[in-house]
Amino acid sequence: MGVSVAEGTVVEWKKQVGDWVEADEVIAAISTDKIDTDVEAPAAGRLQEILVDVGSTVEVGAVLALIATDAKPGEAHSSEGTSEAEVALEAPGEAGELQGDTTEEHATGSAQQGAAAASTASTPLRLGASSPAASQRLGPGGRRYSPVVMRMAAEHDLDLSQIEGTGRGGRVRKQDVLAYLDTQPTSSAGTGDGAPAAEPPMHIESPYLPDAPAPAKRRTPRFGAPEAAPAAAAGAAPLSRMRQSIGRAMVESLRTAATCTTIVEADLTRVDAARRALGVTYLPVIARATIETLREFPALNATLEGETLTTYQGVHLGIAVSLGHTQPTSSAGTGGGLIVPVIRDAQELSVEGLAARIKDLAERARQNALTPDEVRGGSFTITNPGGYGSIIATPVINQPQVAILDTEAVVKRPVVVTDELGDDAIAIRRMTYLCMSWDHRALDGALAARFLRALADRLEAWPV
Amino acid sequence: MPTMTYLQAISDAMRLEMRADERVFVMGEDVGVFGGAFKVTDGFVDEFGPERVMDTPLAESAIIGTAIGAAVEGLRPIAEMQFSDFVSCGFDQLVNVAGKMFYRQGLSVNITVRLPSGGGFSGGPFHSQNPEAWFMHSPGLKVVAPSTAEDAKGLLIKAVRDPNPVLFMEHKHLYRRVKGDVPEGSYETEFRARVAREGTDLVVIAYGAMVHTALEATADLDGASVEVLDLRSLVPLDEEAILASVRKCSKVVVVDEANQMCAAGAQVAALIAQYAWEDLDGPVVRVATPDVPIPFSPTLEQAVLPQVDDVREAVRELLEY
Repeated sequence: MGVSVAEGTVVEWKKQVGDWVEADEVIAAISTDKIDTDVEAPAAGRLQEILVDVGSTVEVGAVLALIATDAKPGEAHSSEGTSEAEVALEAPGEAGELQGDTTEEHATGSAQQGAAAASTASTPLRLGASSPAASQRLGPGGRRYSPVVMRMAAEHDLDLSQIEGTGRGGRVRKQDVLAYLDTQPTSSAGTGDGAPAAEPPMHIESPYLPDAPAPAKRRTPRFGAPEAAPAAAAGAAPLSRMRQSIGRAMVESLRTAATCTTIVEADLTRVDAARRALGVTYLPVIARATIETLREFPALNATLEGETLTTYQGVHLGIAVSLGHTQPTSSAGTGGGLIVPVIRDAQELSVEGLAARIKDLAERARQNALTPDEVRGGSFTITNPGGYGSIIATPVINQPQVAILDTEAVVKRPVVVTDELGDDAIAIRRMTYLCMSWDHRALDGALAARFLRALADRLEAWPV
Repeated sequence: MPTMTYLQAISDAMRLEMRADERVFVMGEDVGVFGGAFKVTDGFVDEFGPERVMDTPLAESAIIGTAIGAAVEGLRPIAEMQFSDFVSCGFDQLVNVAGKMFYRQGLSVNITVRLPSGGGFSGGPFHSQNPEAWFMHSPGLKVVAPSTAEDAKGLLIKAVRDPNPVLFMEHKHLYRRVKGDVPEGSYETEFRARVAREGTDLVVIAYGAMVHTALEATADLDGASVEVLDLRSLVPLDEEAILASVRKCSKVVVVDEANQMCAAGAQVAALIAQYAWEDLDGPVVRVATPDVPIPFSPTLEQAVLPQVDDVREAVRELLEY
């Protein structure tokens, strides 16, 4: 047709969308300036879409209609025949004949390939799985979704039927979900929202990272869990390497130690006065008192590895530092992470010295500038999330140490105080809870309580 | 930075390696006095002498076998197949000897086999093939396929220095069509993929000549942001880069100039299906040469090899999905 004819007009469609057509069956009539002729289907299948309406004139080579060649004849159309493949399956004798002649089968396959390549323009193959016909089979309301859309819906708890699809046949695409999420207030689960505006100086749950943040051991290509999520995913984020590392250390600790938590109440009114005088926070004072108390209770200044309990002459004090949201990684979602720098021979430092060291270590931790030696070798750890106002917590022991002290918010409370004459009165005091998790493999509850009581006594009698 | 053709970059890489390392030499059919069927080794025999630029009989099995022996003795041969199609005559030496030598005997086979491959210029069924998948399937062999002049040089130097047998698939149709800035002196290009163009809506994964086809096909698609990932190396396959692109884009078209069945793209598609399932927003679409010999007729060859329009059509389809 193309040699001498440039364009043609569709006169009639003999098949309608949804009709089954056999190869070479007449599907339309066209009129050109030379002749009127029929258009035959180049392949068998279901007429999926008519692109040129009756009366329209188009150039030779234009696509007139699309035939879904992957469709199968259905019961809906009485005119439909069954395909040869099905006949062969139903009739064993004929199937046997087909199997015998592999050479011809191959040749046929090649010819079809060639034909497909040559006639691409007139019968584009449509992406199979969810042609309109396929989705219609699901009946009213039954939509199919791609894996990524399903995953995003699960992560953001979305009702996909509420999202308008702009893909083929109204299919909901990833872009549609992202656009929908953009219009929603940022509150969905998994986005990691709700982070506190101001970041407190220290944080709880010190995971002592034995090998610094070692990369997770896994075969490079074999990750089912993605490593770095694109920003566009808006909320679906894998755990950062640090979070994974912390997670492993925490679970390992709980699996290893017989973790118990003992809590003692302490009056920090005097400590408050003392720290104000020095211009420091509570932490260095509590750290100093803890160090002194640990010198009296060496069983708590210790590590337990396997069956071996090692106690230490000096106090190598770990301080859990939250990396908060200053961490320069794209740890979207849960974010943060923490690290426990260690002050070696902390017993040699004064309160002011401790304050300076803690500040320095915290700053360098957040700049990722700690040396490996500075995060290993601790003998006892303090964690201090009290800035958020929490009053009690049960920290996880930083293995292989045997105890971790958690200092909580200092709050003014009415308490009963007894004066030197033995008379009771109710007074407003600055109270806190000293929470310590300890390993029942290494010590018993009585020792833990005695240690905490001694620490509280020391704090309550702190020289102002 | 000098501008070189893809072919000049290959010559440059070999010349530099031969000057720097006496163990490196080239051998093949007509590589000496004639300078190679494509003139890749033009002038080499004058500079390095016939002992290091060896003309061989028309016997690929002997060429590769000799190269393997020389490598085991400590040399670093670069063997040229005049056309990659002829490598089938040397198949046993590559697959059974070179690929398994280290596994069986602990001996390094430091050979580089250059395979001028690919079609698009009416070379017919014996001079147009892309045989890379045969060797991807065979353990112990590395397979790389540059698409740019810069990568051709860096990957070839890396291949010559690699202690394993490396098959260097150089695309004949790019020899003089592709030019680019090529750094002076020696440099190695890692056997990793390269993002040829960044995008977010869909990624086309390709290698060799098809990278250029993919770039052209997706240069202007009504504002769609299409990424093009140039694999560069097929073994090792940069699975991490592939999965990263798929995660970002969620839609993938994999393009092979090779025959479709079990081609490199089939491995890529399988990888994505298994490890990026939850990131897919549509079927993994392949565009490849149908499983037919490459026709001699220019019209038929164009109908068979993936063309810019074929890739564009596939990308459009999937974008609309």
